[in-house]
Amino acid sequence: MIAIDSIDVSVGGRRILHGVFMEAPAGKLTAIIGPNGSGKSTLLKALCRDYAYSGTIFLDGRDIASMSPVEIAGLRAVLPQSSNLPFPFTVREVVAMGLTAGRPGVHPRALQHLPEEALARVDLAGFGARFYGELSGGEQQRVQLARVLCQVWEPVIDGVPRYLFLDEPVSSLDIKHQLMIMDVAKGFARSGGGVIAVLHDLNLTALYADAITALREGKVVASGRPETVLTDAVLEAVFDVPLKVGAAPKPGTPFVLPQSVQLTKSMQVA
Amino acid sequence: MASTMSLPASNTLARPAGDRSHIGRITVIGLVFALLAAMVLSMTTGASGASAINLVGHWLGFGGDDAAVLKDYAVIVNIRMPRMILGVLIGAGLAVSGLLMQGLFRNPLADPGLVGVSSGAALGAVIIIVLGGTALAPFTTALGIWSLPAAAFGGGLLTTFVLYRVATRGGQTAIATMLLAGIAIGALAGAFSGVLTYIASENQLRDLTFWGMGSLAGATWIKVAAAGPIIFVALAAAGFLAKGLNAMTLGEATASHLGVPVQRFKRITIVAVAAATGASVAVSGGIGFVGIVVPHLLRLVIGPDHRYLLPASALLGATFLLFCDALSRTIVAPAELPIGIVTAAFGGPFFLWILLHRRSAFAW
Repeated sequence: MIAIDSIDVSVGGRRILHGVFMEAPAGKLTAIIGPNGSGKSTLLKALCRDYAYSGTIFLDGRDIASMSPVEIAGLRAVLPQSSNLPFPFTVREVVAMGLTAGRPGVHPRALQHLPEEALARVDLAGFGARFYGELSGGEQQRVQLARVLCQVWEPVIDGVPRYLFLDEPVSSLDIKHQLMIMDVAKGFARSGGGVIAVLHDLNLTALYADAITALREGKVVASGRPETVLTDAVLEAVFDVPLKVGAAPKPGTPFVLPQSVQLTKSMQVA
Repeated sequence: MASTMSLPASNTLARPAGDRSHIGRITVIGLVFALLAAMVLSMTTGASGASAINLVGHWLGFGGDDAAVLKDYAVIVNIRMPRMILGVLIGAGLAVSGLLMQGLFRNPLADPGLVGVSSGAALGAVIIIVLGGTALAPFTTALGIWSLPAAAFGGGLLTTFVLYRVATRGGQTAIATMLLAGIAIGALAGAFSGVLTYIASENQLRDLTFWGMGSLAGATWIKVAAAGPIIFVALAAAGFLAKGLNAMTLGEATASHLGVPVQRFKRITIVAVAAATGASVAVSGGIGFVGIVVPHLLRLVIGPDHRYLLPASALLGATFLLFCDALSRTIVAPAELPIGIVTAAFGGPFFLWILLHRRSAFAW
């Protein structure tokens, strides 16, 4: 369980977060939503200890401020929004950096091939020898996710859950890979790990999140199960546009929901 | 989970695609032999014509003229050997300093010589040469032979620290800011050195000129004792930074998420760079370009993995400097060129070549 207990964050003298409370249990995918500038990424950066904060953040009951970098690296991994590299590393070398101080939790003999397994999981099998700098933005994002997965490969070690912090993990991905990466995150949570993801796409949030925290102007506006947060009233209060949940557009107007993939899948099964 | 996508891994002994560690290992082993060859070359070439081979032959009992052997012994043990050892240490120190700075600043063009760290170290050394007998006499008396390398270390440390503070914001270093800040710091240090040169005495001026050209010619066992331990400790410390340097290429925040104690890591790196550069500058003056040519060349061969780049840079830096030193002793024999001229003759064009052939994909 990640528990954020009333944290304030100021960046450059400006208060970004005001008394934010949030809980993200292991075994669940918790989404953070909100408009641009609402403090979503700031909240994630405070969680990663990139920003100083007042208040307390607990990881399974322990104050993260008291943990060493190595210790905390064995308990959570962080996917940044984007990463550029100043040197020509191969994709495999980047993924293997996840093993710097992480605890993958696999047998030492499997460790050598863990980067390949991680690459396969993000649909980049066979990309190991390519240069990172020569990949597209979406492919680079998936390489970074593979690196992050290597760090905490087993969602639970000796009964202790581990966590993934994902900052807009699908922002530059096509729809197939959006679903695939969200499946990976959901799978991590289903296996006992915890996931906190900053998400922009409300339909993907509705499809995958077990719990949602909605931010506006650095304050929590609503939090809870998707059906309690994704309501007309909350969405208008958060995003300042009159959205209608579950309303279909006028007949004849095409619209595509990621949810429709599940319908197709269930029809195929049937 | 997308289980259909996962491969049946670990049932194959094949080397994973994109894993270049075997090239790194082979290169390091090859460079050990290259360095040994360069050491032999360094011991056997020189203006005096003293023969290391005759000396070894004499020891092994193959006879030879005793008087000639004694003279050769003096040349080889008192002149060539400290020069060779100093060349190894300084070459390795300069190459590793360059590599560490490039990792710290996340920029393949960073080098102590280019961004003013060497100038800062030189200022420290000039202060001791000019004021060591008068105003700073207590300092030089207390530290003895280590006062010159210690002052150069201090100057290098101060400039590296200032440079880092000026050029880095939120863990990101802007190349333009860094190079321009380096020029400014270098100019400032040069101006102070100029003032000191102006007030220097005749004898001190000769010391300054000789020292400033960058040369191994004045190598003595005392200089080895003065600079050697400092460079050696810096190199040993650098050995522990490899994984951290790899993680740092992803950015400071990500390195910290990966478990690198970033603040401590940066402090150790800065001190190691300043120590190796300062000690090198103190005993050999300004030898440029080693720190940029050597790591760059190796990155082309083995990739940017610092676990192999670090030892390979130390080995190739030492080999390169011994080779340049042998050239500097033989091109205009019996006189010799300052080695700084030889390294610049290789390094200048190479640096331009890097600029022309940089791969924009890597955001240089």
